[in-house]
Amino acid sequence: MSIVLAGYGLTKKYGSTTALAGVDIEVGERDSLAIMGPSGSGKSTLLHTLAGIIRPDGGQVLLGGERIDRLGENRLSALRRSRFGFVFQSGQLLPELPAEENVALPLMLEGVPRKQAVERARRWFAPLGLDGLERRRPGQLSGGQAQRVAIARALVVAPDVVFADEPTGALDQATSHEVIRLLTSVTREQGAALVMVTHDADMAAHCDRILQVSDGRIGTYDQFTVA
Amino acid sequence: MRSPVLPLTWHLARSSGRRGLQSQLLAAGAAAVGALVLLMLLAAYLGSGVRADRTAWRTPEPDRHGTAVQALATTFVRHEPVTVVSLAQLPDRRPTPAPPGLSAFPRQGEVYVSPALAELLRKLPANQLADRLPKVASYGTIDAAGLASPDELVAVVGRAPTDPAVSEAADGSGLWDDGLTARAVVSGFSGGKPSVFTRSDQQMVLLGVGLLVVPVIVLASAAGRLGAARREQRLAALRLAGATPRQILAMTAAESAAVGAAGAAVGALAYCALLPALARIPYGIGTWYTGELWVGLPWLLAVVAGVAALIAVSAVSTLRQVASAPLGVAQQANPRRTRLIRLLLFVGILVYIRQSASGGDLKTGQLVALVMLFYGAFWLFGPWVVDRLGRIAGRFARRPATLLAARRLSDDPRGAWRTVSGLVLAGFVAGFFTVGHLALGGIDFGDRVAVPTANGATAVTEARTLLREAGITATVSAGEDDFLLAGNDGVTVAVPGGVEKIDAALTALQPLAGGRLPYGADYGSAPDRVAGDLLSDIGTATLAVSFLVATASAGLTAAANVLDRRRVYGLLRLSGTPLKVLDRARVRETALPLLVLAGGTTSTGVYAAYQLNKAAESTISTSGAIQLAACLAVGTLAMFVAIAGSRPLLRTVTGDPARSAE
Ligand SMILES: Nc1ncnc2c1ncn2[C@@H]1O[C@H](COP(=O)(O)OP(=O)(O)O)[C@@H](O)[C@H]1O
Ligand SMILES: [Mg+2]
Repeated sequence: MSIVLAGYGLTKKYGSTTALAGVDIEVGERDSLAIMGPSGSGKSTLLHTLAGIIRPDGGQVLLGGERIDRLGENRLSALRRSRFGFVFQSGQLLPELPAEENVALPLMLEGVPRKQAVERARRWFAPLGLDGLERRRPGQLSGGQAQRVAIARALVVAPDVVFADEPTGALDQATSHEVIRLLTSVTREQGAALVMVTHDADMAAHCDRILQVSDGRIGTYDQFTVA
Repeated sequence: MRSPVLPLTWHLARSSGRRGLQSQLLAAGAAAVGALVLLMLLAAYLGSGVRADRTAWRTPEPDRHGTAVQALATTFVRHEPVTVVSLAQLPDRRPTPAPPGLSAFPRQGEVYVSPALAELLRKLPANQLADRLPKVASYGTIDAAGLASPDELVAVVGRAPTDPAVSEAADGSGLWDDGLTARAVVSGFSGGKPSVFTRSDQQMVLLGVGLLVVPVIVLASAAGRLGAARREQRLAALRLAGATPRQILAMTAAESAAVGAAGAAVGALAYCALLPALARIPYGIGTWYTGELWVGLPWLLAVVAGVAALIAVSAVSTLRQVASAPLGVAQQANPRRTRLIRLLLFVGILVYIRQSASGGDLKTGQLVALVMLFYGAFWLFGPWVVDRLGRIAGRFARRPATLLAARRLSDDPRGAWRTVSGLVLAGFVAGFFTVGHLALGGIDFGDRVAVPTANGATAVTEARTLLREAGITATVSAGEDDFLLAGNDGVTVAVPGGVEKIDAALTALQPLAGGRLPYGADYGSAPDRVAGDLLSDIGTATLAVSFLVATASAGLTAAANVLDRRRVYGLLRLSGTPLKVLDRARVRETALPLLVLAGGTTSTGVYAAYQLNKAAESTISTSGAIQLAACLAVGTLAMFVAIAGSRPLLRTVTGDPARSAE
């Protein structure tokens, strides 16, 4: 298994708070990884650091073997746009855009002509069980549907890695399972890796591996690892 | 038990942190601008009334048992009116009280002048101005109590009761004399009508107020809507904590009223501080005495309270909508559609306005009503246009920024309309007033002077002699049917060589005129010219204030949108959306409707002005067109600056990933 994304010796401090205290992490191709841990343990900080949103104080982040933690803001922004996908807890869809345009937006930002972008966006609706909802606006979708649209948007650019931070934090249990199942399976089919932060062990169980984070360090809970 | 609402409000307001503070500062800023503008409008309205009243003493108020003769005459120098009040105490009558601005009733041979006239008397050659007044060793001074403006040119002349200047012949009876020349036996100076030069001031201000009040209200209610998203979250939290909806609304009202009152108080202070500067702005007869523009403490407090109340009402009603819509206003399930009926009503109203306006000869009240109607029509039409515009742009948009802007427009056309409505109206005002420059003084009397005098035949010779002695080359004719004489007997004199020659001729010919003063084209067209000048003053002022209010509105809404949408913007930025795209979308969602609508209203304004001018048989001023272009450039620039003003806010608000993602 070749490594797509890796972080070595990552540290990050906020004043006197240590959010990351030397984290080593490797994410393989098609790997799916759950990051668990108590609130404030540094899960989000880790995810943001790997995704080039936060610059670490120390350590390196490598994407496909290239260091990305030293890139400028514009390069990083372009990288996030084209090689990463993001799914957040909620509120990431533009409320006045129909679902299909929300999904097409990353493509348009990459310079794909609008017609093509929307066509490619539409292809994602059936596999995610969103058939017929293309023209709905986020306000007309249920929470689970909205998250599935967000998944489509994350995957539409064919990213190397999908980052998800508490993607089911605002959903009920049944819907959560459904969304995570789709997220893991579709990501894998696409050949992308998944890094997901969650505090819910049931959700984490959908992933290949689980990392336990506490006080900015990785614990080893590899007994859950599915080979 | 004491109500927990106020302490709790205070606590929450303080603990809402920097986000809360930002939107409260914005709201307070809007309240300040709103209060300042309202106070300025009120000051102009009340002040112009006060000013008009202060000119009233110069028009004689007949009293059969009077004690003195008063004659009002008006002469022009350098095209500016000089009001000459001649007073003569009648023998064997009780003494007449002093006129305003003088310490005593003037004795025969005394001449009092306003400071502005004193200066002009020093500056201009005696044969152009000073010789029109009796020769005196030194002039007395009319102080502010007798003047409406520091710029006014007024003289009070004490005369003998037998002086022709106060004789019956001094009474104006001609077509042009209305309000400019009058004579009567009076007993004091408490009656009288405001002068021609000030009597329409207040009505014209009302026109401007009519145009500006709505944008100011829009600004204040936009301030009330600020922080809707934050309040929405707080509402949910408080509900969970067991607060009743009534308590929550009371808290919102208390908080927004306090913020509004604080802002409005700052605006009121700014008004007080600006009073001397405001008084320097000329209107009609000139600049103001500072006191005339002071609205008084009750009005000041009323405006502060009114603005605070407006903001509180707007905040509460926004929250009510939030409370009743489960998804909240920030995330509308359905776009607010606009219907075709708006277009139909708009066309209907415009046709009606055209019909009424083409009847001609409108009173100010009717004009105000029509302008308000026009404004109302646009209030209906604007959102409809914004909606269509959004859909058309949405269909053809190729770039993400344009698409985002287009979708925003059709999502909330009324909101987008409110943002630009002020500037759109300013466009109409700009188009109408700058290109119009209503040359209402339609009759062209030419460079001529008329002398009303009884014996026409000898008068021609006498006039020639007087002019020759004064060294003025002019053509004198007996003017029986001359329009400038307006049916009176007399002579007319064509004076080539410009205003200085005319002023010299007016001075030289005075001995010929008996009780009357010679007059020129300025006299004949004074009332029309006054109206035209007032309109153009009001136009300029309205335009400037419109831009101020509209820019504040646009800037405020842009900032409020950033604050309300911080989460989605923040998450988009995390996912790699360039800030530039979000920023362009923000600019476009304002610029697009503005260009179309302001372009539309501006051309409507130009068209209306053109029609009016055609009716008045005068041509469009080219300098007006240049002014218009300048206005539009300034307006556009102001808008961009206003929106760019919230760019740093967008950057900081979306810059913190932890905040956005939580
Ligand atoms: N921008 C920030 N400024 C200050 N402290 C921060 C910031 N972001 C995170 N922290 C702190 O770093 C620690 C880890 O935060 P985070 O990664 O968000 O935890 P988790 O996602 O596991 O709940 C916490 O103590 C948090 O308070
Ligand atoms: Mg977190």
